[in-house]
Amino acid sequence: MELGEAGKSRVRGYLYVLERSLSSFLPRDVVADAVREIQTHIADRVGAVEGVPDERAALERILAELGPPLRVAQAYSAELTLDEAVTTGRIGPMARSIGHFAVNSVAGFFGALGLFLGYTAGVAFIAIAALKPIFPDNVGLLYRQGQLIGFGARFPVEAGQTIAGGYWVIPISIGIGLLVLVYTHKVARRWLAWFGERRQQRLRRNAVGS
Amino acid sequence: MNIQGWHEQLRRGALDLAILASVAPGPRYGLEIIRRLEDFTDLVVTEGTIYPILARLTREDLLAASWTTSESSHPRKYYRLTTQGRRALDDMIGDWHAFTGKIDRLIDASGRNDHGTR
Repeated sequence: MELGEAGKSRVRGYLYVLERSLSSFLPRDVVADAVREIQTHIADRVGAVEGVPDERAALERILAELGPPLRVAQAYSAELTLDEAVTTGRIGPMARSIGHFAVNSVAGFFGALGLFLGYTAGVAFIAIAALKPIFPDNVGLLYRQGQLIGFGARFPVEAGQTIAGGYWVIPISIGIGLLVLVYTHKVARRWLAWFGERRQQRLRRNAVGS
Repeated sequence: MNIQGWHEQLRRGALDLAILASVAPGPRYGLEIIRRLEDFTDLVVTEGTIYPILARLTREDLLAASWTTSESSHPRKYYRLTTQGRRALDDMIGDWHAFTGKIDRLIDASGRNDHGTR
C-alpha cells in the first residue's frame, strides 16, 4: 500500500508525539534511533498491505497494533531510563525518571514532590554553609526575644531577632546537608525501583494481551 | 484466585526468553521478531512495546544491534545474539526446562494431568 498525503501526515503526527514524549527523558541519540526504528516498522507494515480499499482504516489498524505513542514512550521509560537510574544512581537519569513519573501520574507527582523537598533541604544546608563566611551576621541560629525559632539565613535581621552561632555553623551545615542529600538519594533510588517495577508490570500486562 | 492475572504473569515472565529465542536462529529486525513471536507463541503483543525491550536487552549486551541496508529495501535495525546473550539464553532454556519438568511431575503426581483441555 502506498500512503497518500493524509496517511503520511497521520504517520508524521504519530512520530512527532512519540519523539516529543521520548525527548522528555531520553538522550537525543537514543530518541532519534527509537523513532527511526518505529518509522521503519510502520513503513514495513504499510508496505505489506495489499489491495485495501480504505487506506485510512488500514493505517489506523497498523497504528493501533503498534500502540499509542504515549504508551510506547512509557515502555521506553520503564525499560531504559529507569533501569539506568536505579542501577547507576547517576543524577541525570534519576532526574529524568523522577520528572517523567511526576508528570505522568498522581502518585508519581507526590513522590517526586517529596524527593524534591528532600533534595532542596539538603542543598539549603549546604547553601547556609556557603553563606556563613560571606554574611556572618545574617546566618546561624535565629532567635526572637530569646527563643530559638529557626536555623538559616535572614536578610535583613528584623527588629527583635538575633542571629547566634559562630563558624561552627559551617561544618555542621555541610554535615547535615550531605546526610540529607545522601539519604534522599537512597530513598529516591528505592522509590524509583519500586515505582518502576509496578509500572513495568502494568506495561507488560498491556504488551502481553489477555 | 485471579486465573487471568496468573496467566498474564506466566507469559510476561517468558517474554525476554521468547525474544532471545526468536533472534537465536540469526539476525532479525523488529517486525520479524514480532512476527516470529506471533507465529510460535500465543503471545498477543502490543507491537510498539517490544522495541523498548529489545533496546534494554541491547543495553544489557545480550543483543547487538546495527542498521543494515539491503538493495531491495530501506534501512532496518537488525538484532543478533551476542556471546553473552547466547549464554544467557542457554541458561534461561535450562531453567525453563527444569522448572516445567518439575511442575509437570507434580501435576502428574496429582492425578490431574488433563492438559490439552484448554
